[in-house]
Amino acid sequence: MKIQLLSFAALKDFFPPKQELSLDGIHTVFDLKNYLQNKNPDASNLIKVSRISINQIIAKDSDTITEGSIVAVLPPSSGG
Amino acid sequence: MTFKHITEEKLSLPTEFPALPSMGGYVLFAGIVRDINDGKQVTHLEYEAYSEMANQMIANIIADAFQKWELQYADCIHRLGKLNLGEVAVIVSTGSIHRDEAYKANRYIIDRVKHEVPIWKKEFYINGSSEWSKGCVDELHEH
Repeated sequence: MKIQLLSFAALKDFFPPKQELSLDGIHTVFDLKNYLQNKNPDASNLIKVSRISINQIIAKDSDTITEGSIVAVLPPSSGG
Repeated sequence: MTFKHITEEKLSLPTEFPALPSMGGYVLFAGIVRDINDGKQVTHLEYEAYSEMANQMIANIIADAFQKWELQYADCIHRLGKLNLGEVAVIVSTGSIHRDEAYKANRYIIDRVKHEVPIWKKEFYINGSSEWSKGCVDELHEH
């Protein structure tokens, strides 16, 4: 499965802002979080408190990621 | 790219109220870049957003405010990019027949924008270092 992964703010210290990923055995948001934490353990704490959006909609850990999705990792917001 | 609620342009405070004859109360909140955070002297900030999503989320929050209160008017715009001390980062303006709803809706909108919308702040300090704001992981959202 191919997806586009976007990373923002502090996440960009660990992952490129935008990357194409080919993923095997990853079906859910939970799976993706585990994959990213394994890929870069230093980012684990930040990933744990981040939200994930799929095609610009906030997703739950149990939500399914489908082929061609634009998935974004969103650290805690700090606007205002 | 420019969006209704997200901009890289410098924000100016409105000089006129929206022309709504029934509006008896108008509340304007401005978030301003301050020179200190957590005891560290700040020189400037940079704001980044997932702009498409942030724009839609702010529009949804404003729509929710219209559902909750009888408002005549509500708007919010957040600036991105480099901001110097004293510059305006965000403006929320609300209007209603009486003041109470305008106050409540204004607070509701800025609180949700601050805690939910994918906008991030990087602080630059006087010693040359910089750091992304940790953001809010506190469910109470009282700060």
